[in-house]
Amino acid sequence: MRKKNDCIRETKKEALIESLKFPKDICMGAMKVTLTGNREAWIENYRGILEYTQEQILLQGKSCQVCFEGNGLSVDYYTNEDMKISGCIHCVRYS
Amino acid sequence: MNMIKFLKYVRGYLRIRLWGFSPERFMNLCSNRGILLWDIVREGDAYYMCISLKGFWELKPILKKTGTRVAILERYGLPFFIPRLLQRKIFILGLIAAIAFWIISSFYIWDIELTGNLRITEDIFQSFLKENQVTVGMRRDELDIGELEKEIRRQFPEVTWASAKLEGTRLKIDIKENDAPIVVEKPETTAGTDLVAECDGTVAAIIVRSGVPLVSIGDVVEAGTILVEGRVPVFNEDKTVREYTYVDADADILLEHTRYYTEELPIDYIRKEYTGRQKEHFYLKLGSRIWKLPEEPPFLVYDSVMKETRPLALEKLNISVFWGTVTHREYQNTEHDYTREEAEALLNQKLMDFLADLEEKGVQIIEKDVRINKNDTSWVMEGAFLVREPVTGREETTRMDMGETNE
Repeated sequence: MRKKNDCIRETKKEALIESLKFPKDICMGAMKVTLTGNREAWIENYRGILEYTQEQILLQGKSCQVCFEGNGLSVDYYTNEDMKISGCIHCVRYS
Repeated sequence: MNMIKFLKYVRGYLRIRLWGFSPERFMNLCSNRGILLWDIVREGDAYYMCISLKGFWELKPILKKTGTRVAILERYGLPFFIPRLLQRKIFILGLIAAIAFWIISSFYIWDIELTGNLRITEDIFQSFLKENQVTVGMRRDELDIGELEKEIRRQFPEVTWASAKLEGTRLKIDIKENDAPIVVEKPETTAGTDLVAECDGTVAAIIVRSGVPLVSIGDVVEAGTILVEGRVPVFNEDKTVREYTYVDADADILLEHTRYYTEELPIDYIRKEYTGRQKEHFYLKLGSRIWKLPEEPPFLVYDSVMKETRPLALEKLNISVFWGTVTHREYQNTEHDYTREEAEALLNQKLMDFLADLEEKGVQIIEKDVRINKNDTSWVMEGAFLVREPVTGREETTRMDMGETNE
């Protein structure tokens, strides 16, 4: 029941932001993932790394987690604002 | 991207190995505190990453909090390179000496370049510069460019525009010569001149612009005869002469006469015959000084050919260092006789030069008769040319006393 209410609240907020033409990634605190093919990914608006192996990188966002799965994954750089992951990405999973 | 790499290098960075309880938390804490991490790779249980030198000093509380340990693998950047460099004293001395040499040598002029000269040869200009103490190797601040420009115009009246400028250690002199003919201004009043025949002949054409013609077409004249007089009479109404005005007689007169031409060529001549033996010597030239190995005269009779080069790099850097070779070639003087063909070719060439010279003077050749004969000692070319030659001889007009004429 609570989950349903949360979902409704989120939809309303999204509609409001949409109508005001605000950037969604900043206002909703959503993670922004930019993929170039399956070799590189740029990620902004994250909280931190939860897990880092060559096969899997798990990132914590404000409202969800994103998991990059693949082979030979490495972090090219890691700052407070953004990070870059390179390697062979097989799958991006949200949870 | 390269700029970022350069900044990282200037500030210095480390390659570290990280292991322990929670490396992920270590990374999160680092990013929160603004410590940049890059090239993060996981191998087994350990993480390898790069970290800025400044960030590394702030790691201690993070390591304690996350239960991780760190080991330095490599050091990069200027903060590590400079102390190592400073240990090499000779290198530092050499570097300082090189910089000092570079700075000191930039106070001097190392090359002088002249452009725009057509009639003034480089040698003449070089000696002019030498007279004015402008030489390669002089101090830049001793050169007064304005004065040099003035001196160029003063010394060479045909130079209408001169500009000198210093480009680095090169003195660039650009001049413009006057290519218009030099106009000689005629004085307004003249004593008057006559046109006079310089040789015997027949007047073939006459067009008078000023003066009184005394001959007409077909007249036979002798050398020294006045053809056009510069004394122009002004008549009264009763046809008596009132006065004379004096002008420079000006007319196009062609005088037809025969010109004789003889040219001799000795039967024999001395020819250099190279024996094929030659010796090369190297030399080095710095400014105007030449260094070469001491040498004895290589052959009894020889001539020398010099070849001088300067590598492009030295030319671009305005360093007047040249090197070259002197080749001494041995020869023998041998006597030869001209064959008829050789003699004819040489004499004909001389004749052609003579005719070209005549044509340049405006002489028309009507007929020519040329013979080549051989006598005991030489080949002789004799020619007779019927020519029409413009008259250019001038003499001052004899003045007529007005008192006499009025009587």
